[in-house]
Amino acid sequence: MRDKTHEEQIERWAKFVRDNPDKWKEKLKPFLDSQILIARRFYSKLAESEEGREKIKLLRKA
Amino acid sequence: MERRIDDKTILDKFAEKFCAIVEKHVKYIVCSGFVAIAHGRARGTEDIDMIIEKTTEKNFIALHEDLTNHGFVCIQSDNPEEIYNDYLRNKMGVRYVLKSEGYFPPEMEIKFAKDFLDEEQLKERVKFPLTGLDIYFSSIESNIAFKEELLKSDKDMEDARHLRIIYKGKFDEDKINKIKEKIRELRL
Repeated sequence: MRDKTHEEQIERWAKFVRDNPDKWKEKLKPFLDSQILIARRFYSKLAESEEGREKIKLLRKA
Repeated sequence: MERRIDDKTILDKFAEKFCAIVEKHVKYIVCSGFVAIAHGRARGTEDIDMIIEKTTEKNFIALHEDLTNHGFVCIQSDNPEEIYNDYLRNKMGVRYVLKSEGYFPPEMEIKFAKDFLDEEQLKERVKFPLTGLDIYFSSIESNIAFKEELLKSDKDMEDARHLRIIYKGKFDEDKINKIKEKIRELRL
């Protein structure tokens, strides 16, 4: 799935981090928080589904 | 992090807004890492991968203009003819971000369907109610097959295992094996 635009994206972000040491964290934080919130929401829905709690136990072991 | 767990995150809003615009013009699927993240995998991603059906230049220009009118910008070029002919038709992806975010994540990477496997994924696309997202994804069978047979990194194998647990008893193992056969035939 990776092509040269992916490499360019990594380079673009690395340059921003290098050149903006005071700004990059505030840009990245909401994006990373989103991924945690999506996981929380998913587990909440999974827990309410059929065999959801058992599946969560299995996922914890995996 | 103070939000309730049923609130839409910036990533949800970005993905759903983008998908709703694309759906007006072409059929699409979201695949790869974001499928796992939407299913609770605690791992990061820098972009969302989308496959769209091949379409005419005229239709793509309409799609691009719709996206730009709604605040998205293509990182590779502002010229839709160039995006279509130099990137998408050459099997390369292009990346869209929200202009207001100034070229920062999240990003949506779009590519044209490149073969029978992608076309089948588009035909069999599904929404997953457990994710809480109004987005079409490639099927669970397809995601597992691609991760186990083609991508194969530790992260991909863990994603596949995660999906197998969540959808235990609800996916078709024969179908996974048939997709894997096609992957070996067309991609390896």
